[in-house]
Amino acid sequence: MKREHSALFLAPAAITLGAVALFPVLSVLWLSLEQRSPLTDAARFIGLDNYARLLADTRFWNAFWNTTYFTVFSVTLELLLGLGMALLLARAFRGRALVYSLILLPWAIPTVVSARLWEWMYNADYGVLNYLLGTQINWLGSPAWALHAAILMDVWKATPFVALLLLAGLQTIPRELYQAAALDGASGWTVLRRITLPQLVPLMLVILIFRTIDAFRVFDAIYVLTGGGPANSTETLSIYAYKVLFQALEFGYGSALAVSVLVVVALLTIVYARLLRVRIA
Amino acid sequence: MPDREPGARRIRVRGDAAVRILLFFVGLLLVGACTEQSNSVESESTTVVLKHSKLFGDPRPFERLLVQFERANPGVLVRAESLPAASDEQHQFYAINLAARSADFDVLALDVIWVAEFARAGWLRDVSHLLPEAQRNEFFHGPIEAVTWQGRLYALPWFMDAGVLYYRKDLLAKHQLAPPKTWDAMVQAARTIGERESGMHGFVWQGKQYEGLVCNALEYMWSNGGEVLRAGRVVLDGPSNRVALAFMRNLITSGVTPEFVSTLTEEPAREIFGRGSAVFLRNWPYAWQLFEQTGSAVRGKVGVSVLPHFPGQQSAATLGGWQLGVNRYTKHPQAAERLALYLASPAAQKALALAYGYNPPRRKLYQDKQLLAAQPFLAKLRAVYEHARPRPVTPHYVRLSQVLQAELSGALAGLKTPEQALADAQRDIEAILR
Repeated sequence: MKREHSALFLAPAAITLGAVALFPVLSVLWLSLEQRSPLTDAARFIGLDNYARLLADTRFWNAFWNTTYFTVFSVTLELLLGLGMALLLARAFRGRALVYSLILLPWAIPTVVSARLWEWMYNADYGVLNYLLGTQINWLGSPAWALHAAILMDVWKATPFVALLLLAGLQTIPRELYQAAALDGASGWTVLRRITLPQLVPLMLVILIFRTIDAFRVFDAIYVLTGGGPANSTETLSIYAYKVLFQALEFGYGSALAVSVLVVVALLTIVYARLLRVRIA
Repeated sequence: MPDREPGARRIRVRGDAAVRILLFFVGLLLVGACTEQSNSVESESTTVVLKHSKLFGDPRPFERLLVQFERANPGVLVRAESLPAASDEQHQFYAINLAARSADFDVLALDVIWVAEFARAGWLRDVSHLLPEAQRNEFFHGPIEAVTWQGRLYALPWFMDAGVLYYRKDLLAKHQLAPPKTWDAMVQAARTIGERESGMHGFVWQGKQYEGLVCNALEYMWSNGGEVLRAGRVVLDGPSNRVALAFMRNLITSGVTPEFVSTLTEEPAREIFGRGSAVFLRNWPYAWQLFEQTGSAVRGKVGVSVLPHFPGQQSAATLGGWQLGVNRYTKHPQAAERLALYLASPAAQKALALAYGYNPPRRKLYQDKQLLAAQPFLAKLRAVYEHARPRPVTPHYVRLSQVLQAELSGALAGLKTPEQALADAQRDIEAILR
């Protein structure tokens, strides 16, 4: 009797999860093994052909390295700047509440809206950035700059999120540790290196998981800023997958591209999770 | 112990309730299915659904047009439904519904680049019989070419536009220059004026990596006798196209076109010209009204012409616009065909032109006194539309365009030589069409 009941009670959750998580993932995996497009006559199972095509596709590797570059630089900068901001904000000062809400603003604005804002700021003709710097940089229109412009926007947007989480982490570090350090006459640098940072590491790993996954799937910010151009220099894997799936309607190959993002993200998560477990143990 | 018994019973009662709720919903679904069925049996008149992109302006003239059709066709009702705003979403909407053989709409408005794709997918009825050969001359050549795939017509041209050259006629007159006929003359004029007037860009166009870049680049290639496809073969990597692409790159390196053209789409480019900061602009006809409206910085100072060409060649303009196709899975093919034919008729096209400024693809309307009086600009567009050409008509156009966008963008940015970009694009497009 009891067993029957437990199955019954689990069923709604299991069905919901299966319908919204498991089924779509499995169906994308299946699609990635097919040649399927409304433009070809019938869906055809082609095994791993899509993946073979992927490995030989220079546009895929271009997108892969763009995405990796974007992820490494934006996440590193966000972590460093976020840490700095958190350390500053942890000190008591007047107007702290105001600063809190101000730094959160970029995180609160919808990505597409902030991408439009940055598009105007980056405008090479009358944008405020060139005006302030006294430069004539073609921010979004030159292959050398465009990806960096996107990184800068992402850093602007996500750093507050990192700072806020680290700030919360700072509050959880036991006061006694600092008192003991003060008694021993440790310098500020030593306290930071020996107490604050080690205590924050587990949290930083969690933040890294969030930010890396987010950055690796980046779509909307860059799509609005550049559409993947110029010369595919800002085409990330998600943008490539979008163009193949939803513009060219190649559902099979597009799914293979989407799966490739999933695989990379899964691998990264495993690595982080390992590190996290080692740390905690 | 006695406490547990009532609790367990209560749980069982709740379990029963859950089952009852489930049954209730299943019942609802069944009832819904039944009523839907009975509805379709009861209704006597056929409803034809027209899918079109959103109208800008007063909806009443369009509604009047549909009412007229209903009056002329007793028993047929028309329901017009708007598509999503973005072109990608419209394309997706059609593809997803038609791939599922949806009969939810009967007549569909199609972007000029989708006709071959949808025809190849088997989603459109062959409508060749609606427009006999003899009547096709009544249309400009470009739109007819765009709706023709493997010798058959799959849609009727509804309204059109094409790339034009806007120029500052006041500045050209001031410096005693004639509107340029060739690209070189345009560069010369831009240079001359640029030297004498401060803060002016020479020539702005659409150079961002997107569909508009392909539209722009084709105009240079065609106006030098080049093409992308000829009789099904890829002929992109040829001498005419190399010259054309090198010319585009030169526009940037010589400073006639600002470097940031690589970020420009239609609106930013229009805005630069519209505030009086450029001598020449390549854009679509929609910009004219905006230049001529009250408060515009360039009102009365703008001239418009066909785009320039290379020496000894013909001007060309990339065709845009919308066509009317009939859903292959429609349940009312006759009524749907009649509606498509009606909306593409001279009378309907004239009404749409008067009400919404939609440019008709029928030549004769460009001599219509009433229409010309209401929209004098149309007289200038006729010459442009005679030169309008569709982008490569192939079911794989979207993929082909993605290759072109990236390679052209690379050549304009100087990452690749025009030769290299064209050779790479040729190779990739051949692989797509194979």
